[in-house]
Amino acid sequence: MFIFGVNFPETRLVSAALQSFYGIGPAVSRTLMARFRIHNTARIGELDARQTDDLAAQLSTMTIENDLKRGMRENIRRLRDMGTYRGRRHAMGFPVRGQNTRSQAMTARKLNKIERRA
Amino acid sequence: MRPTTALLSRSVWKGPHIVPLPIVRSKAGERVPPIKTQARSATILPNFVGLIFQVHNGKIYNDVRITEDMVGHKLGEFSATRKRFAYKQTKNK
Repeated sequence: MFIFGVNFPETRLVSAALQSFYGIGPAVSRTLMARFRIHNTARIGELDARQTDDLAAQLSTMTIENDLKRGMRENIRRLRDMGTYRGRRHAMGFPVRGQNTRSQAMTARKLNKIERRA
Repeated sequence: MRPTTALLSRSVWKGPHIVPLPIVRSKAGERVPPIKTQARSATILPNFVGLIFQVHNGKIYNDVRITEDMVGHKLGEFSATRKRFAYKQTKNK
């Protein structure tokens, strides 16, 4: 079953399938499923054609996956180009929001980059 | 000195934090002198665009030229208060 260009096995939970997209978490998947009257434990195979069409149409209007990642990168790049403190901290790979760096700060070292991946 | 206050949300009813700054509108063609200030928490307003501020970082005054992107941020965000750590070699062991 194809949804938004991705092939999901019939036995996959619909909520899990939705949450596999970047930008959709538990909350958004719940609202989407409520809107199209899909129950919580529904599997991909149980959806009828109209529901899959509705889901695909809704997903194509949302900023998810690469659009979202690109937007995030643009925001960081804008901060850096302006020369703000936050942009500088991103470039150095340090925490941006005033956290300590004496120990740990591992998440920042992993994620805070100008060309952020995740 | 705090690095930035833009991250802390501010109630909408208060409006932006406006600090009276000595901004003089000179005639076209004339050079506007930079505005020396210690008000790092002052919100950058749309009428600041194009001006040069000298923003205090606790020690010196850094030159900041205001562009359109900067509107809504604070002056202090553009004047770094911290120095990058550099190891100093000791001469006499």
